[in-house]
Amino acid sequence: MSTKCDRLCSTEDCMPGTGVYLRHGYIYSSLAGYVLRKNEGEELPVISVVRETEAQLLPDVGAIVTCKVTSINPRFAKVHILYVGSTPLKDRFRGTIRKEDVRATEKDRVETYKSFRPGDIVLAKVISLGDVQSNYLLTTAENELGVVVAHSEAGAQMVPISWCEMQCPRTHAKEFRKVARVQLSICRPEQGPVGGVHPSPLQQGPLSPSSRNTQLPYL
Amino acid sequence: MPTDTKRVRGPEVSQSPSLFLCKNAVKKSTASNDARVDGRQRGQVDVRSVFVRCGLISQAKGSAYIEAGNTKLICCVYGPRETERKDETDMKSGRLITDMRFAPFSCRERGSWIQGSDEKDLSLMLLESLRPGVCLQKYPRSQIEVNVMVLENDGAVLAHAVTCASMALADAGIEMYDLVLGCSIRQEGATYLIDPTFLEENGYNLASGSRENLGSLTVAFLPSLNQISGLQSDGEMGEDTLTGDVRTCIEGCFKLYPVIQQALSKAVRRKAPPSES
Repeated sequence: MSTKCDRLCSTEDCMPGTGVYLRHGYIYSSLAGYVLRKNEGEELPVISVVRETEAQLLPDVGAIVTCKVTSINPRFAKVHILYVGSTPLKDRFRGTIRKEDVRATEKDRVETYKSFRPGDIVLAKVISLGDVQSNYLLTTAENELGVVVAHSEAGAQMVPISWCEMQCPRTHAKEFRKVARVQLSICRPEQGPVGGVHPSPLQQGPLSPSSRNTQLPYL
Repeated sequence: MPTDTKRVRGPEVSQSPSLFLCKNAVKKSTASNDARVDGRQRGQVDVRSVFVRCGLISQAKGSAYIEAGNTKLICCVYGPRETERKDETDMKSGRLITDMRFAPFSCRERGSWIQGSDEKDLSLMLLESLRPGVCLQKYPRSQIEVNVMVLENDGAVLAHAVTCASMALADAGIEMYDLVLGCSIRQEGATYLIDPTFLEENGYNLASGSRENLGSLTVAFLPSLNQISGLQSDGEMGEDTLTGDVRTCIEGCFKLYPVIQQALSKAVRRKAPPSES
């Protein structure tokens, strides 16, 4: 149990964790909560102060976040960040996924409407807090990042069939998304090549009319 | 000056009836100079006993209520939220936004709902007092909103607002270097009145012969770090009197500190009863 600015111990005894700050060689608590002392296996135990209510995490550089796409345009997609790791955020933060951060390969040939659609739930990683004018910058340029939940034009939740396609179970129409390779058993084992050579957009055959959405805002 | 355009004012030559009311004759204390109206002593560090409670507003992230004598204040904290305005360089650290309002029924005369200039002043002073206490660099690109509402104004409003706001911040789980406590003092001639009531603040019970050294002072103090984060002074006071008063206010803050800590511990225990050691 500690309230603000209790002197917990000196830096020789413990390492600082979360909810504490260092001052003049001593560790003070910066939260009102319970003191936790954990032995991490290194030389010094880690001391931190926790409150039972979910710790307010802010998206930090390198964190994996779960977000929802709100709008897309040919240069970037705008998202609302909902979860940081596995903790939900109380307030929505806004983020941007630029066109060149969608994929690791062939960045210039990416088309955002074939990677995301508004309403998709996407796993992304924070690359930058952004400067004054922009939001958090996110990237999905990894195998494990990308769309995890998407709804088709018919309204059913789609099933991923490759790293770049998802299929609607009701109408069997395929739609293009940048799919995340989630390591769970619900994914079908036939994952296409993730990175490297992929069929160029011109050779993919005529797009089904259902996946051509003319209401998307284009610049 | 924002004016209220929605209410019917009456013709321009009309005047408020409260101007014509004869003020209730205030009993001049001809009794011994040491007694104040509510039984406390002059010249001694005799702060009003406070009742504090955290976590009463469920919608806000953190909240606190303080009652000192008849002064009642409530404070809510929201955040950290994403900053709406990105015109300042707030990428490395967060921003604190304070808002202090008086309820229309809080003073003797009915106030208006529109924020007056003194409320804006008090909000700014509250911001200056709280900012050194909060670890804003742990919340980049975010803003933390602190809203204080005065339910009844019986003196020392800024001091109690500072205390209430820092308790609400602690209740919200915002990381802080230390609690910020506030204390107010009124200097009248040779003696001082700590934690003055509204009547004492406005000089209704002036002891005779106190023409010089007449003023009031509010100090915002971080007890464990021994730092002053805010100082607001009014009136005319000599230099020695002023420094003496600052020290007295610091003593008053130290008297308040254990009460606030206990209230916070209770609030933490109420929110999450200790399951294991």
